[in-house]
Amino acid sequence: MSVQSGGPELKSTALLELAEATQARALREGADEVKVSVSRSRGVEVEWRDGSLERVQDQTTQRLSLTLYVKGRYSAHSTNDLRGEALDTFVRDAVAMTRYLEADPYRKLPDPARYAGRAALDLELADPSLAERSGETRRRDAETLESLTREAAEGLSVISVTSSISDAVGCSARVHSNGFFGAREGTHCAATVQLTLQDEEGKRPMGWDYSARRHAEDLRELSEIAQKASDRAAGMLSPKALETGRYSVVVDRRALSRLLSALISPLSGASLQQRQSLWEGRVGTQIASPLLSIYDEPHRPRSFGAALWDSDGFATHRRPLIEAGVLQTFLIDDYYARKLEQAPTGGDLHQLEWSLGNRDRAAIIASIQDGVLIDRFLGGNSNQSSGEFSFGCGGHRIRGGVIAEPVSEINISGDLERFWGQLVEVGNDPYQESASACPSCLFEGVQLSGGTKS
Amino acid sequence: MGESVGEFAKESGDAILESEGEGLAYFSRFGVDEGLIRAAIERALSRGGSYAELFFEHKISQDLGLQDGAVNRAYSGVALGVGVRVLRGDQTGYAFTEDLSRGSLLETAGIAALIADDNPRSGPTRFEHQQRPNRYSVKTLWGDVGVDEKIPVLRQLNEEAFAADSRIQKVNVGLSHSDGAVLIANSRGRLHFDRRPMTRMSMSCVAEDGGRRESNGANIAARAGWELVNTTRLETLRADAVDQTLRLFEASQGPAGAMPIVLGAGASGILLHEAIGHGFEADFNRKGTSIYSDQLNEMVTHEEVTIIDDGTRPGDRGAVNIDDEGNEGQRTLLIDSGRLCSYIHDKMSAEHYQVAPTGNGRRQSFRHAPLPRMRCTYMEAGQRSPEEIIASVERGIYAETFTNGQVNIGGGDFTFYIKLGYLIEGGKLTQPIKDTNIIGNGPEVLRRTDMVGNDLRFDEGGWVCGKDGQSVPVSLGMPTVRVSEIIVGGQNQSGEGSA
Repeated sequence: MSVQSGGPELKSTALLELAEATQARALREGADEVKVSVSRSRGVEVEWRDGSLERVQDQTTQRLSLTLYVKGRYSAHSTNDLRGEALDTFVRDAVAMTRYLEADPYRKLPDPARYAGRAALDLELADPSLAERSGETRRRDAETLESLTREAAEGLSVISVTSSISDAVGCSARVHSNGFFGAREGTHCAATVQLTLQDEEGKRPMGWDYSARRHAEDLRELSEIAQKASDRAAGMLSPKALETGRYSVVVDRRALSRLLSALISPLSGASLQQRQSLWEGRVGTQIASPLLSIYDEPHRPRSFGAALWDSDGFATHRRPLIEAGVLQTFLIDDYYARKLEQAPTGGDLHQLEWSLGNRDRAAIIASIQDGVLIDRFLGGNSNQSSGEFSFGCGGHRIRGGVIAEPVSEINISGDLERFWGQLVEVGNDPYQESASACPSCLFEGVQLSGGTKS
Repeated sequence: MGESVGEFAKESGDAILESEGEGLAYFSRFGVDEGLIRAAIERALSRGGSYAELFFEHKISQDLGLQDGAVNRAYSGVALGVGVRVLRGDQTGYAFTEDLSRGSLLETAGIAALIADDNPRSGPTRFEHQQRPNRYSVKTLWGDVGVDEKIPVLRQLNEEAFAADSRIQKVNVGLSHSDGAVLIANSRGRLHFDRRPMTRMSMSCVAEDGGRRESNGANIAARAGWELVNTTRLETLRADAVDQTLRLFEASQGPAGAMPIVLGAGASGILLHEAIGHGFEADFNRKGTSIYSDQLNEMVTHEEVTIIDDGTRPGDRGAVNIDDEGNEGQRTLLIDSGRLCSYIHDKMSAEHYQVAPTGNGRRQSFRHAPLPRMRCTYMEAGQRSPEEIIASVERGIYAETFTNGQVNIGGGDFTFYIKLGYLIEGGKLTQPIKDTNIIGNGPEVLRRTDMVGNDLRFDEGGWVCGKDGQSVPVSLGMPTVRVSEIIVGGQNQSGEGSA
């Protein structure tokens, strides 16, 4: 099998050799089956604050993970101490400890037939240019971003601006003793800025924005990041209270992943087998508005979630999760599939893709006479057995089709199935800098609780 | 599992541990000696810089898990590395390596040094070994306890949970422990060594009643060894996990809107952590980005309120013999009878404010630079009985157990999520409530905290605090208190409460 990215193979090949050698060690110690993965990464971050260099951080990491199957027993181990003698001791002790555990008849490596069918694609996970990026470039970009943000915030009462430029290069390799092997290299880069303002009430709202991508050329312009951070901070000045009630609510594309995660988390095989999922028995039934269609698309080039194989080594492929509001599948990995006595469906989510609507956030807002825009969440949680949720949030009132005064100290609460059933419009503006790729969405009749301001 | 990490200091009558040579002896197995440390600090100061520091860490952890009636999963981890920090005033250069060879360490020190661009400074010619207090009184070392001895403990909890109530359908039990060693050397010629045990036990249940399902759990954690797993604690853990799962069947989401809240003693300390603690961390205040930045020495709460951040409670999850900069853990008075009297400091902020360090410079691991972080944050007991406080509320809610919280430092807005509680009607606890988020503004909620109970209790749960991508263990304590108004994120009702 080939290296996943089209990038240079030298480092990945070295990791593959270490993984194979460790696998052989574990088998010699008495393991019946073994899974080994090895990864290395190097990252640099430069932070600039209020006109001077704040911090430079350089990190080089390595990690070896070992999964053992010994006489029907299972354990998993990791170490970053890759010295030969230390690894020998690590493997020997790991195998010895596993023998003391109780047996689990469902633990074994996957059927190797499921490794087959890997797509022959270049997912473009690595940007070779990042390896050449100089410290001076990072420093200059961080300084520029801070400066652009101050320009964007001219006229506002700025307390502090912190910008950062970061990038990382990583590679990993994995082998299973029943025939799987794979290696991949990837990169990540980001430009981030946060801006703190002072408002008339003594509060110091902080606005931020960032652009994060695998390839540097895909990052948004620094000036756009600066402007968005400034706009967000300005939009949080002197917030008002919101009267408790039910509202038409637009959830911004960058904020929606919190509510989507609550919807999707109970789909895991562990949740289902442990009888914690409110979606048990619901495949093929309506769990959300007919407007909601979401697919897992692991082959989208350059996306953060892109992968040719999953955690079990299964070849990945596009699949529907929810179509027209009807649940299509659980996310069942090989182990929990055995416990559930059914075929695995694949336990990982990669890159999501939505069926989009026709309008962006601004156009959706323009159609609302009286409502609320939620553009951030703060804390909260959901109950994946019952579906109840309650999250803190903030945003703006919408009046007469335009964004009006900022509002804060709000809780949004309800029942997941009912809430997603109240989805009445999906935007056409997916947020591609995230694996969930959410568009802005409009929900009707949402319970919001607010309060009085002293 | 893994290689032996030697001995933690077993419990003794000594309040102070001698650490002469202990740290160098420990890390010598990785090739670390005083000559290498001296050379690395010299390299770290090769471009000037006001301060340089090496943070060596070796940590071994193990998790054992029971699911579906069998202890059939174990996880272990080994982490080894050194972080090099170079300061130039308020500027930080930080780099780490997981390869402790001379070449790698010197290269890493050279990278951290890039923060400065002045003439080289010389490092210390010798190191003075520092003493440390002993607040982690491990009675039975994990190295002395085999996997076969742990398995019956997990199995017993599982069997007792199923025996407790026929509605219990699934039980998961986890036992985690770690043994860590850190060696801190700095350009002032100081050498600090510490050993850091941590043990956590968790239990979760899934129950079914009339077609409805609920799940919940409980956990305990401390800087302790095998002795944490004693009979009394296990009984409490099992009873809490089962009871708090079954009570969810009687509960519904709370009301919606602004109303009074009574916070029960113990885990309600999450309010302090979110509403006050993070905003008091001096890095935010040094930069002017905390809502408390200009409130030092001002009255910020009702005068009944006194709040402490304490690293000295023996065996506590938030206790620190020394922080991750080598400063001794202390008991720090944050609010004294309503007045903000100290921020939470690391070395950099203490120098900025020209005060003594408070021992709050903490980091997740050698991969991170230290930041001001909380330890055990709690409110001192007041004079009122819990009954008096509950009786004072005509309509509101009583919060008892929590899962998580979050705060916006500059705006002051914070939240915490109530897993279980009660409605208060006519001064009495009535209908159970669950799964309800609370949101408020820190300074406003402090001003509205107007009754403090006499029943301070410390929570033994395994709380984890996240900040700037770093997680550290913390603990909480709280007496029963009343907040006269806060926003409750429930359902359907008008939410007109009154105190």
